[in-house]
Amino acid sequence: MTDPLSKAATATEISGAVMSGKVKAAAVIDATLKRIEAAEPTINAFTDVVAARARQRAAEIDAGLHRGPLLGVPFAVKNLFDIAGLPTRAGSKINVDGPKAERDGALVRKLEAAGAILVGGLNMGEYAYDFTGENAHYGPSRNPHDPMRMSGGSSGGSGAAVAAGEVPLALGSDTNGSIRVPSSLCGLFGLKPTYGRLSRAGSFPFVDSFDHLGPIARSAEDLALSFDAMQGWDSDDPVCTDRPADPTLPRLIEGVDGLRIAIAGDYFAKGGEPEAFEAVATVAKALGATRTVVLPQAAAARAAAYVITAIEGAQLHLPRLRTRPQDFDPDTRERFMAGALLPGAWYVKAQRFRRQYRAHVLKLFEEVDVILAPATPCTAPKLGQTMMTLDGVELAVRANLGIYTQPISFIGLPVAVAPLQRPGGLPIGVQLIAKPYNEQAALRVAAHLQKLGVAAAPPA
Amino acid sequence: MAEQKRDVARMVEEGAKTAGLAIAPEYLPNVILNVERSLMIAQPLLELDLEDDLMSAPVFRP
Repeated sequence: MTDPLSKAATATEISGAVMSGKVKAAAVIDATLKRIEAAEPTINAFTDVVAARARQRAAEIDAGLHRGPLLGVPFAVKNLFDIAGLPTRAGSKINVDGPKAERDGALVRKLEAAGAILVGGLNMGEYAYDFTGENAHYGPSRNPHDPMRMSGGSSGGSGAAVAAGEVPLALGSDTNGSIRVPSSLCGLFGLKPTYGRLSRAGSFPFVDSFDHLGPIARSAEDLALSFDAMQGWDSDDPVCTDRPADPTLPRLIEGVDGLRIAIAGDYFAKGGEPEAFEAVATVAKALGATRTVVLPQAAAARAAAYVITAIEGAQLHLPRLRTRPQDFDPDTRERFMAGALLPGAWYVKAQRFRRQYRAHVLKLFEEVDVILAPATPCTAPKLGQTMMTLDGVELAVRANLGIYTQPISFIGLPVAVAPLQRPGGLPIGVQLIAKPYNEQAALRVAAHLQKLGVAAAPPA
Repeated sequence: MAEQKRDVARMVEEGAKTAGLAIAPEYLPNVILNVERSLMIAQPLLELDLEDDLMSAPVFRP
């Protein structure tokens, strides 16, 4: 049993210890705040620490005022989630001049209602238009495996904070890969649920068509535990599903029995570095998966996701681009400006194609339950690196770290990331992709890989 | 290539005026570069032929 006060403790282990009275929530928070203080000069994952609030909440838990499956679990959120009393930075300097949030975002409230304790807001790429974790205003969140390398973005602080053991659980957002890319580069379990499965209310948007929220954690159990606590309809998010909650944690025990697992070929089997494909092969071998399936028109799906992102994101920020261009991060400003000038016809075509691609991919899921694909085309690039060579081709880092994630979030499929630690090397993740609302299948595969020792969080 | 670069530069300058977006001279080269990059990445979509009756699937419900 891991010491619940150590940085290796999972949310499941901490809540178990607090519920059983083995440890006080106050002690968990004290240890967490000390770890944050020690790690931050190097990692730079946090932009805000709400120590007084966390201590107050812990005292209430120790007084028996709160209950729930996440009792006493410290967590932090990407700073595009509203935190009452703080400006919702969304990685920007501009938003700090705006109003402070009057109440917490919907998922923060749900996790706290389940007994968890918010300890702060996390660094991120400006306005989520990022795969690197770099930020000109707040500095980069650094990869704990090598602080000179990228954490991945845009939920870079979420990945860095969990990988460094500052918190066992963090929330991020994923529009084109922003949970999956940092999960891969930092070597963590991550979950991008089905589009509309979790409420986005009380979070700063990026691209309404693809914005998802979800957890990053040290274990598959923790993903399921937190995902289950966050499910449920919310009238404040117009795309939030009214389907009943579908608890996943009780199903992890089923393992992969009855699941048909295949490997994504073609687009997902080229254009990356060998370690990305070796990771998929390792996972496939462990699962006994030999069948290969082809997601048709995946390159067009990635292109369409890129177009929709550029145009919706630019439209959202056009007023600020007109009035405060100098206050943007230079690495996002000119991409937003470019997006504002792309033809509207591209956007409409991309949205029409989205429906066709969805139909083709859903057809595949009549024959398989989970599809394996690389999460990133490479391990963590160096901070400041702008170009990389993939499969012999020189490409921009920012535009291409998400080549394998974009065609999946484009149609809102649920995906878990299973992390592979590579002794002597940097970690890398594998996407476990399921059909809509079938998060349980992806999480069961992740839990099975963890049980086999194939997937694991970084050693403490 | 040079002709395309000129076309993109012209599109950016004229499009920005239409959009009411003043692009400072120091930002302009990178904006042009990003539009060129978008053109390249969008190609697989732009090359597709879609059926006339293919409709998008908006979430909006009246």
